[in-house]
Amino acid sequence: MASHNESIIREPLITGKDITYAKITEDILSPVENKPNKAWWIGFTVASLGALLWVFAVSYTFWYGIGAWGLNKTVGWAWDITGFVWWVGIGHAGTLISAVLLLFRQNWRNSINRSAEAMTIFAVICAATYIVAHMGRPWLAYFSLPLPNQYGSLWVNFNSPLVWDVFAISTYFSVSLVFWYTGLLPDIATIRDRAKGLRRRIYSIMSFGWSGSVKTWQRFETVSLILAGISTPLVLSVHTIVSMDFATSLEPGWHTTIFPPYFVAGAIFSGFAMVQTLLLVTRKVLGLENYITMFHIESMNKIILLTGSIVGVAYLTEFFIAYYSGSEYEQYTFLNRFIGPYWWAGCMMYGCNVLMTQLMWFKKVRTNIPIAWALSIIVNIGMWFERFVIIVVSLHRDYIPSSWAMFYPSWIDVSVFIGSIGVFFTLFLLFIRVLPSIAMAEVKLLLKSASEQAKKKLIDEGHVEESQAEFYKESLTKFDSVEIADYEKV
Amino acid sequence: MDSNKKYWKGLEELNKTPEFVEKNKHEFAEPIPIEEVLSGAGLSSKTPRRDFLKALGFGVGAVTLAACQKVPVHKSIPYLIKPEEVTPGVANYYSSTFEGSAILVKTREGRPIKVEGNPNDLLSKGGLSAHAQASVLDLYDGGRVKDPMLNGSDAGWAQVDTFVKNELAAIKGAGKGIRLISSTVHSPSTLAVIADFVAAYPTAKHINYDAVSYTGIIQANQNSFGKAVLPHYNFDKADVIVSFGADFLGTWISGEEFTRQYVQNRNNKSLESKKMSRHIQFETGMSLTGTNADVRIPVKPSEEGLALINLYNAISGTSLPGSKPLANATVDKAIMIAAKELQAAKGKALVVAGSNDVATQILVNAINSMLGSYGTTIDLDNPSHQYAGNDAELVEFINEAKRGEVGAVFFMDANPAYNFYANADLKEALKKVRLKVTFADHADETSELCNVLAPNHHYLESWGDDNAVEGYYTIMQPTINPVYNTRQAEQSLLLWSDSPVKDYYTYVRNNWDKNLLAKGGLAGQSGWETLLQNGFIKVADAAAGTYTFNQDLNAVAQTILNQSSKLAEGNKMELQIYQTVAMRDGKRANNPWLQELPDPVSKVTWDNFAAMAPADIKKLGYNQGDLVKVEANGYSINLPVLLQPGQAQGTVSVAVGYGRSKGGAVVEGGIGQNAFPFHSFRNGTFQTSSPATITALGDTYLLAQTQTHHSYEGRNVIREASFKEYVKNPSVNSGNEGEHKKYSLWDEYERPAYNWVMAIDLNACTGCGACVVACNAENNIPVVGKLEVSRRREMHWIRIDRYYSFNEEGKEITEEREIDKLENFDNVSVVHQPMLCQHCDHAPCETVCPVLATVHSAEGLNHMAYNRCIGTRYCANNCPFKVRRFNWFNYWNDSRFDNYLNNEHTQLVLNPDVTTRFRGVMEKCSMCIQRIQAGKLHAKMEKRPLKDGEVKVACQQTCSANAIIFGNVNDPESEVAKALKSERTYYVLEELNVQPGIGYQVKVRNTSSELQA
Repeated sequence: MASHNESIIREPLITGKDITYAKITEDILSPVENKPNKAWWIGFTVASLGALLWVFAVSYTFWYGIGAWGLNKTVGWAWDITGFVWWVGIGHAGTLISAVLLLFRQNWRNSINRSAEAMTIFAVICAATYIVAHMGRPWLAYFSLPLPNQYGSLWVNFNSPLVWDVFAISTYFSVSLVFWYTGLLPDIATIRDRAKGLRRRIYSIMSFGWSGSVKTWQRFETVSLILAGISTPLVLSVHTIVSMDFATSLEPGWHTTIFPPYFVAGAIFSGFAMVQTLLLVTRKVLGLENYITMFHIESMNKIILLTGSIVGVAYLTEFFIAYYSGSEYEQYTFLNRFIGPYWWAGCMMYGCNVLMTQLMWFKKVRTNIPIAWALSIIVNIGMWFERFVIIVVSLHRDYIPSSWAMFYPSWIDVSVFIGSIGVFFTLFLLFIRVLPSIAMAEVKLLLKSASEQAKKKLIDEGHVEESQAEFYKESLTKFDSVEIADYEKV
Repeated sequence: MDSNKKYWKGLEELNKTPEFVEKNKHEFAEPIPIEEVLSGAGLSSKTPRRDFLKALGFGVGAVTLAACQKVPVHKSIPYLIKPEEVTPGVANYYSSTFEGSAILVKTREGRPIKVEGNPNDLLSKGGLSAHAQASVLDLYDGGRVKDPMLNGSDAGWAQVDTFVKNELAAIKGAGKGIRLISSTVHSPSTLAVIADFVAAYPTAKHINYDAVSYTGIIQANQNSFGKAVLPHYNFDKADVIVSFGADFLGTWISGEEFTRQYVQNRNNKSLESKKMSRHIQFETGMSLTGTNADVRIPVKPSEEGLALINLYNAISGTSLPGSKPLANATVDKAIMIAAKELQAAKGKALVVAGSNDVATQILVNAINSMLGSYGTTIDLDNPSHQYAGNDAELVEFINEAKRGEVGAVFFMDANPAYNFYANADLKEALKKVRLKVTFADHADETSELCNVLAPNHHYLESWGDDNAVEGYYTIMQPTINPVYNTRQAEQSLLLWSDSPVKDYYTYVRNNWDKNLLAKGGLAGQSGWETLLQNGFIKVADAAAGTYTFNQDLNAVAQTILNQSSKLAEGNKMELQIYQTVAMRDGKRANNPWLQELPDPVSKVTWDNFAAMAPADIKKLGYNQGDLVKVEANGYSINLPVLLQPGQAQGTVSVAVGYGRSKGGAVVEGGIGQNAFPFHSFRNGTFQTSSPATITALGDTYLLAQTQTHHSYEGRNVIREASFKEYVKNPSVNSGNEGEHKKYSLWDEYERPAYNWVMAIDLNACTGCGACVVACNAENNIPVVGKLEVSRRREMHWIRIDRYYSFNEEGKEITEEREIDKLENFDNVSVVHQPMLCQHCDHAPCETVCPVLATVHSAEGLNHMAYNRCIGTRYCANNCPFKVRRFNWFNYWNDSRFDNYLNNEHTQLVLNPDVTTRFRGVMEKCSMCIQRIQAGKLHAKMEKRPLKDGEVKVACQQTCSANAIIFGNVNDPESEVAKALKSERTYYVLEELNVQPGIGYQVKVRNTSSELQA
C-alpha cells in the first residue's frame, strides 16, 4: 500500500506538516505518557460520580427488589431493556469499523477504529450489566447458561430469544475484546519501548513479547484478517438476535419480521453517532486534529445519514405493514405512538432519528463540527426513544384494554441509566490515559501515501495534473486542520 | 412442716463474720479494676505480642466457631399425642355458619385456613360472598382485642365479671334502664340468652340496630299487611324485575342468595331453553346490580319517589294526588315501558326499592300487590330474619340516655360511635350512662366510649346458630381454640345474668335439644351429631300466601312528594350514600383482603370517593382525583372525585364503610372518609339521600384503581348479543359461524388422562369479586397496599375486567377516541369479564422463558416452577392477557407489607399446600393445582377414576352465580365439556392461536328497541 503514491484526488487522511513516525508516536502517546490535564480530571470526576451512582442504584435494586423501579404488571420491561438495547446498539460501530471497513480496505478507519472498538467493549459491558440487573433474582443469573447441573436433565430453553441473547452478547464481547487487544499489541510495544521502570514491566507483559520482526508483523496481519472475518457476521448477528427478543414475541409492535435489518441499521446508526460524540471531543482535547480529520468526520456523518435513512424507511415500512396487516391490535399500536399518552416519545423517536438526520444531506452540516456534534447527541437521544417507544409504548397498551397502564420511571430507573453512562465514560477516560486512543501502527501505514504532506510533496514536485491539483485543493477547504494559505503559493 | 435446713457456701457465711456481711452487700466480693483499666495506663499500655496473639487467636477462633453455626433450623414439633381426627397434611372440614349461610370451614393441623360454602346451603348453594371468604383472615387479625379491658386497661375476666355484676346489681336496684344494642340477631340461642338476660334484669331491653337499615321495608309491611317482617324475595320466579336503587346482587339484604336466584333465569341453561328474565334498574349511582341490568336508567334520589308514583299510576290506571309527569323525559318514558312490561308479566314480576323510607316501601308494596307478586316472587310467610333493625328504637335510646334513664348499655356486634349518624349525640348520651359494655372484637370507635371491653370470640371460635330465613336453622361450631383471651358474648351475658347454665355450648345444646332438633326430625346425641355434620336443618316452608294491598295511598304519596321536593330544594347536588360490595358497612374494614378487593364498579381499592357523572365533572371543571369537600346535613368530608359513567347527573354518591378511626392497624392507617354521618333520620328511619354542596379544594388525591382504561375499544375480547338476536341465532356474535382452517407451528401433544379447562359464562358473572378473595385465601396471594396498587402491581391471580360501552343514537360506542367526544354518559352498559391465566395450549409465555421455569403439563396446565424462575419478566410481557404477576418485593419479609404475609398472626391463615413466593419470581393462576393433585390422590387411594365435579377450583367454588365451570374436557360427559359446546362459547384472542384453555360465553342482554340501555 505504502509502496506507491495514492491518487491525488483522494482526500488526505493525515494532515499537518512535518509529520514523522516519531511525531505520530509523540502526538498520540502524549496523554498516555504525561500527567492528565485539568479537562481530563473534571471529566473523570463527573464520570466516576456517575459510576458511583450506578453502584448505589444497582445495589439498591438488588437489596429491595425490582419493585424499586417503575415497572408494573403491564409494562414488565422499560428503562432496563431500553438501556440494554441502546448500549448494545452503540456497541456496534466498533466492530463495523474494525472488521467490515478493514475487509473493504477503507483506510480511513485506521484513525478511529481503536476508540470505536474500546467504546464497543465498554458499551457492551454496560449492556451486560443491564441484563443481570433487570433479573428478579440476579444471583441465579447462571441458570441462563447451559451448564451441567444436578437438577436431572434441566437445561435452558433453546427456544427462548433470551438464551440466544446470552450467546450473542457473550460471543460478541469476547471476539471484540480479542480483536481490540490484538490490534493494540504493536502500540503497547511502542509504549513499552519508550517507558521505564514499572511501567515498562507492565507494558512489557501486556505486549505479549512483541518483537516487531517481520514474522511478527506478518502474523499480526493474518490474525487481524481472520478476526475481521469472524467479526463481520457478528456485526449483523448480535443486533439481529437482540431484535428477536421482540420479533419472536406476539406483542403488537414487537412481532415484526423487519426487525433484524431494522435493528442492525439502527445499531450502526447509533454506534456511529456515539463514535462521533466521543471523537469530536477527544480530537479537540487531546489535539489529534491531524489524525482525525474533517474527512473522517464527514465520512462518519455520511454513514449516519445512510443508516438513519434506512431506519426511516424501516419506520415507514412498519407503518405500512401495520395498516396492511388488517390486525386491529397492530394498527392501534402504531397509531398509539402518535395519538396515545406517549405521543411525545413517538415524536422524539421519529423527529430525532429521521427528520434531524436528513439535515446531513447538506455538506455544510456534515462538516460543521458543533452541528455534527449536536446531531450525534440528538441521534443518541432519538435512538434511546426508539427503544423506549418499541418497548414501553407497545407494552403499555396491548391486547386487553383492562390492563392498559402507564409507566412512570422511579428515581432508581433514572439513576441506573445515568449511572451506566457514568460507568461508560469512566472506562473510556481511563482507556485514553493508559492506551493510545488512535492505532499508531496503523496510522503510520498511511503516512507515506495518504497524508497531506505526501500529497503536497507530489504537487510541489509537479507530478500532478493541474486540474487534479485544483480539485484536490478545493477538497481541502473544508479541513479545519489544513493551512490553505500554504497552497496559495503553489 | 417447714424445713429449716440451711445451706452455706463457707464458714464465713455460716458464722456471718462482719467482713463477710460487708463484702456480701455487693455483687462482686472484691472490686473489679474497671476504672483503672479504662483510665490511666490500662488502655495506653502496650499490648505484649503474646497477649495480642492470644486475643487474636481467641477472636478468630471464636468468630470461626460462631460462624460454624448452621442456618437456623426451625423444627416443627410433631404431635406427641396425635389427635385422632388430625392427620398432618390432610385438611378437616367442619360445618358452621356465616351470617346465616351454612358453610364449611377447612382446617389444617388445627388452624382454620379457608371458608367454603356448604353446597347444600339454602341461600346460596355453596356460593359465598367476598366477605365470607375474607372472614377467616379476621380470626388471626393481630388488631383483635387480646384481653378483656376495664376502663381502658387490661383486666382479667374475673375482675370484669365482678365489676359488671356489681354495677348491674346497683343499676337494677336503682331501677334504671338497661339496653342491649346489637346488630340484628337471628340466632335462636343468642335470642334465648338475651331473653334470659332480660328476665334477670327486667329493666333491660334488646334493640336491634343495623348500620345499614331495612326498617323501612319492615314497617311498610307492618303498615300494609300487618306483618312486620322482611319478606323473602324470589328473584328466580321473576320474569321482569324492576329495581329502584336496590343493589340486590350486591349489598341488598341477601346478595349471594339473590345472585343465585337471578342468574337462574339468565345463565346458559336458561338461555338454551330460550328464556331470559328482564331486568330494569333505576338508580342514582352505578351499583353492581345496575351493571348487570338489561336497562339501566339513572335517576336522582329526588326523582325516584315520583318515578314510583308514576309507575303505580301507570299500572293501576289511576292517578295519585300530586302526581305529575317527570321532568326527566328518559325516566318518564322508561317508567311507562316498565309498567307495560310488568303488567304483561303479572305474577312473575317483582319491583324492589333500596330506599329505607317507609312511605316509599308502602308504595312498592302497593305496586307488587297489583302485580300479584305476593305468594310468588315475594314471600311474607317465610320471611327473612337477616335484618330486623329498628331505627327509631336507637334514636329513642339516645333520648332516654340523655335524660339519664339508662343505667347500662351493652353493645353487641354494634359500633354506633362509628356508624350512627348523630355521633355527637351518642357520645353526649353515653356520658350519662353508668355502665357501658362492648363485646367488640377490635378496640373500635365505640369501645373508646365504654368502661368495659369484653371481647367476643370470632365466629370460627364460637358455638352458636343462625336463623337467617324462617325455618332454616344453621349451626355454628368452633374450629379452633380461642386465639386470644376472649370470651363469647353470650357466655358473658349468661354469667352476668346468673344463668344456671354457665357454659354457652351447653346452652346451645340444650336449646337445640329442647326446641330445634325436633323441627329437623332429629333427636338426641345422634341427632346433634347429624346436625353438626349437615350444618343445618330446614323446616318445610309454610305456604306463601297472597296478600292484597288495600290501604289509602294519598298520604303516602304526599309524604314521598314532600321528601322529593326537599331533596331537590335549592338546586343543590343530591348526595346518595351506599355500600360497596367490598367494604359493606365497614365492619370488616381492618381486613386487607377486602381493602385490596377492587370495587366491582369503580375498580378502586383502599378508598372511598365522591362518584360523579362525567357531564357534571366536565361542567364543574374537575378532573378525576381532584379533592372536593362534600357537605350535607351539617357534616362534611374531603373526598377525591371519581368519574362514574351512569351516575345520575346532579348527584354524587359516597360509600359508607370507610374512614374508620379505630379498629386495627389496617384502618388506623387512614382509609377513606366516614360517610355514615350523612344519614338523616326522616319519618322514623335512617335515610341515605340528602341535598349536598360540593366545593373543590384545589388539591388532588391518588386513587388506586386496578383498571384505568374502561372501554374495550371495540375489540372482540368482549362479545355481546341481544336476547332477540340470540333467540334467532344462538351463535350470534360468538364467531362460531362458519368453519376456518387452523394451522399450527407446533407439534400437538397428547393429553392422555386429563385436560383441565374452564368455561366462564359472561351472562352469569355479576362481577362481585368473591372469586378474587377466594383465590387470595386459597393461594396465599400477597396484599400489596394502596401505593403498590396505584403503581399497578396488585398480585391477584384472577381479576374481573369491567368495561363500559356507551350507546348513542342506537350505536354502540366502545372506543376511547369516540368516548372522548361524548357528551352524554348516561346510556352506559357494563360487562364484567373474569380474567385469569388462560392456560394456553400454545402458551406464549412458555416459549420465551430462558430457563424453562414455565412449562406445559400433560394435563393441559401451564405450570410455574418458582424455584427455577430468575425473573426476566419476558413471560409477562409476552402474555397477551396480562395475567402474570411478578413479585416486585419480598411481600412476606418486608416491613412495608406488614398487614398480611409479613405478620406473624395473619400468616397463620396461609394455605400450607401453596408455597409463598420469593421476590423476583413470577406467579399466576395455577388452576388450584394443589386441589387437582389432592383430588387425584384421593381418587387413586380409592382406586377409582376422578369424578367430574370432585375437584373444584377456589374461584368456581365460591361463585354463587356458578359462572365458572372447571373440569376435564377429555370427559365428554363433564359439565365443562358440555358448557364449552354451547354455541355462545368463544375464546378470547383466539385469532392469535394461543389456544386458551378458558372458553367464555357471549354476554346476552335482554334489551328492547323501545328502551335502550
